[in-house]
Amino acid sequence: MIRTYEKEVSWKAGGLAIAVHLALLGALLISFNWKAAHTTLNVTEVELWDSIPNQTAPAPEPVVQPIVQPEPKPIVKEEIKPEPKPIVEEKPKEEPQVDIALEKKKKALELKKAEDQLKKEKALELKKQLDALKLEALKDDAKPAVKVNKPNDALKKLQQEALAEEKTAGEQQALSSKASANAGVVGEFKNKIQAKIKGNVNKTLCGEGNPELRFDIGLLPTGELSGSPKLVKSSGSAACDEAVERAIMASEPLPLPNDPSLFSQFRNLNLKFRPND
Amino acid sequence: MSISAANDMSIFSLVAGASLPVQMVLLVLIGTSLFSWWYIFIKLATIKKAETNAEDFEKAFWSGGDLNKLFEGLASSRRKPQGMASIFEAGFREYVRHKQQTTMDVSDVMEGSRRAMRAAYNRELDDLDAHLPFLASVGSVSPYIGLFGTVWGIMNAFRGLSNVAQATLSQVAPGIAEALVATAIGLFAAIPAVIAYNRFASSVDRLSVRYESFMEEFTNILQRKS
Repeated sequence: MIRTYEKEVSWKAGGLAIAVHLALLGALLISFNWKAAHTTLNVTEVELWDSIPNQTAPAPEPVVQPIVQPEPKPIVKEEIKPEPKPIVEEKPKEEPQVDIALEKKKKALELKKAEDQLKKEKALELKKQLDALKLEALKDDAKPAVKVNKPNDALKKLQQEALAEEKTAGEQQALSSKASANAGVVGEFKNKIQAKIKGNVNKTLCGEGNPELRFDIGLLPTGELSGSPKLVKSSGSAACDEAVERAIMASEPLPLPNDPSLFSQFRNLNLKFRPND
Repeated sequence: MSISAANDMSIFSLVAGASLPVQMVLLVLIGTSLFSWWYIFIKLATIKKAETNAEDFEKAFWSGGDLNKLFEGLASSRRKPQGMASIFEAGFREYVRHKQQTTMDVSDVMEGSRRAMRAAYNRELDDLDAHLPFLASVGSVSPYIGLFGTVWGIMNAFRGLSNVAQATLSQVAPGIAEALVATAIGLFAAIPAVIAYNRFASSVDRLSVRYESFMEEFTNILQRKS
């Protein structure tokens, strides 16, 4: 290794060699900031939309809440107020439904009409009763207040009946409006998914014309694909099909609504694409 | 995915995270570098010593003193004479030995002492040249060793990419960084070795020229004496 005459300097040289390496290591540690710079990595994903996705769900019609006066107090004067108006006001609410039914089926229309008729009759009856009661009440005007109680009770009952009817109708309306709102969200996100995929399609591969494709895709709650997309209807060009399939893969994660209860509608999607649209 | 790994890019974690061949390469390179620096310092010291020795001896030799006295001083000293002194000592010892046998021709005496000086000169030159081949090898080979480690590390880094769907820079960057450490250490070992080799080779050349010219001059002096 080393010659005998070198022995006297070997220790000194070894120490110097180690010192040089330590100096280099020190310089390396000081001069380089070995901590990576991207500690604050904030990715913001932005989707660009050509147009606002159309809200497929019809906006729920404003429910006309008939203002029902509070129960009549046993003061005779106020008896005129609680007219059974709510029964009359039910009509406009019923009408749009009838319209839709008309478009759909005639039978349903007839049924509805019959129901309407029935309701009208009932309302008429109620009105008659009320009128009678009113008359009675007017007759009893002169009588002491204690006696007024009885006709008032009947009036109250009628009022409550009408109110209950109103209430159930309102609940139904609310339920249907919620369902339609959900349908709107589902439609919106389906549109978003389609738009995101379409943005990734290499349109040049689909050539001229307007080919249409259908893909079945399965989604996970994270927005990722649960499997590879299945081609249901080909565009006729394999390159175009592959381009769309690649676009679907590249679009992961797909946008999903925040409400987890809606996810069941996204588990399996059948999507239609027109890349050249 | 591997962002957390990329955040901690200290040189120690880079080395610790490297694959085994890369770590072996690093180990070999660090060992080589330590040895080459050790030899560099040894050679610095010994060559400097040989130069000062030559200077001192030339001064003593040309001072006009008695060559017999100079020889006695060198032969009686406890340490073995080195460099120019050892050449002088070998030549003069041979000359004196032949001179005692009066039957010998002058040219034979000169030839004998010349051979003795040549032998001493070769020994000295061998000492001066010691470790220089090692430095030359380190200078030429260690960049390749480092490159091997780098290629291996980058191969690993890219092989890891094949398992992920979306290739991002943060997945390859740590692998490439740790692979490049091998090249860096290889260069760190090679550059000083090359510089030192060139410097020492020229110093040894100059010393050998000095020794040779001294041999010629000393032969002339001996010839005049006999």
